[in-house]
Amino acid sequence: MSDKAHIASAFDRDLETIQALIMKMGGLVEAAIMDAARSLENRDEDLADQVRRNDKLIDAMEEEINAEAVRVIALRAPMGSDLRLVLSVIKISANLERVGDYAKNMGKRTSALVQMEQIEGAGGALRRMSKAVEQMLRDVLDAYIQGDAALAEDVRQRDADVDQMYTALFRQFVTYMIEDPRNITSCMHLHFIAKNIERMGDHVTSIAEQVVFMVTGELPDEDRSKGDRTSYDRLTGDL
Amino acid sequence: MNDPRQISAQTEKALDSNDIKIRARDVQVYYGDNHAIKDVDVDILDKTVTAFIGPSGCGKSTFLRCINRMNDTIDIARIEGEILLDGQDIYDPSIDPVQLRAKVGMVFQKPNPFPKSIYDNIAYGPRIHGLARNRAELDEIVEKSLRRGAIWDEVKDRLDAPGTSLSGGQQQRLCIARAVATEPEVLLMDEPCSALDPIATAQVEELIDELRARYSVVIVTHSMQQAARVSQRTAFFHLGNLVEYGLTSDIFTNPRDSRTESYITGRIG
Repeated sequence: MSDKAHIASAFDRDLETIQALIMKMGGLVEAAIMDAARSLENRDEDLADQVRRNDKLIDAMEEEINAEAVRVIALRAPMGSDLRLVLSVIKISANLERVGDYAKNMGKRTSALVQMEQIEGAGGALRRMSKAVEQMLRDVLDAYIQGDAALAEDVRQRDADVDQMYTALFRQFVTYMIEDPRNITSCMHLHFIAKNIERMGDHVTSIAEQVVFMVTGELPDEDRSKGDRTSYDRLTGDL
Repeated sequence: MNDPRQISAQTEKALDSNDIKIRARDVQVYYGDNHAIKDVDVDILDKTVTAFIGPSGCGKSTFLRCINRMNDTIDIARIEGEILLDGQDIYDPSIDPVQLRAKVGMVFQKPNPFPKSIYDNIAYGPRIHGLARNRAELDEIVEKSLRRGAIWDEVKDRLDAPGTSLSGGQQQRLCIARAVATEPEVLLMDEPCSALDPIATAQVEELIDELRARYSVVIVTHSMQQAARVSQRTAFFHLGNLVEYGLTSDIFTNPRDSRTESYITGRIG
């Protein structure tokens, strides 16, 4: 990444505009994750509704960012690191939009869960998992704006922690369901929420890969350890 | 039926060659005391369009002109090092520069047709090099060259009209046709489109793409977009040095040298 200014200063302003939009969108998504997690833990239906409504803003921002990126490609014909920046912006906004969708889905499930018996400890565990993902997102946005490939790589590695949290929760929910079939509906909702948070982590990881690509021109090698082992474990094993 | 997607993916690559046509080693050029080209090593491939880019005064045109000894005409110019065409040193005393220039054709920035008929513009080179035994053969060469210059259909009914009566874009394609009439192996182009409008530019670029099936084409251009569009290899010159040389797709997406990066992204002039 070059930190020197372009001879055409309008080009710099265009790129700064796109960067600012990504940071703003990222901020909205960070808030959506934590609001969704809080609404779940506190059984706060109003906050859950708000998360669902705010997703429209996030979707609109993705469109705005893509329109800006198309404009810069058409009018400025970016090359080198500028080209990689614009390409990564398009992918990052798509990843952020998906994370927003998962937060919205958490809000929906919270609205349903409020009507059911509470599962002890699940809200807190899911909030901690959300917090871990939100922190990853916060760091990857910092890595993006500072062009810090090392920080992006660190975020990429941390996805394994989220995967492990998911695996632990998965086992816990299965245990609850085996203990008492009346827990099945709520545990299924809670499991989907856990799975969605785990998927958020994957999207944040994908953003981290885009940051590495933007800075170095090469995608990182696929050598991360996989923390999610549920697909390999036998469901009725020694849970 | 083959998968049409695979066909289109193959045709661009199918032409790619790895045969070295021109090999330059340790080339230095001096204009008097001015060291204009410094330690240039480069292998230019056959059946490939190679673009030379770089800011004004970086030496790209000077180096291009070394390849057909155009700098011989400048008294104060001095060239050291080695430039081999198909393994033969073009600066060897036994090489006749006129014969060399028939093999290494050149097209200039401003279209420069001879003040003669369209026919004679093309026929001039083949005549002096004795490439045709009679009028019928010469007619054939003229038609073939004008077709390769992608201008035959526009001029076939007025071959006796002066070359200078054509539009700028047509004149430039006429000059390209003239350059290919002597059956060259290499075509050097020094900013061939800078005096042309966008449509004429597109026509010349299309022509360059067709020419690469037969020739090694080297083009100097100030338009990075043009280099990106027409070339398979790009060389970036800066202050007389060849800073970076590689696949055009790599140079424009992920250059290795920070000077190349600064230049292609519009950060240094």
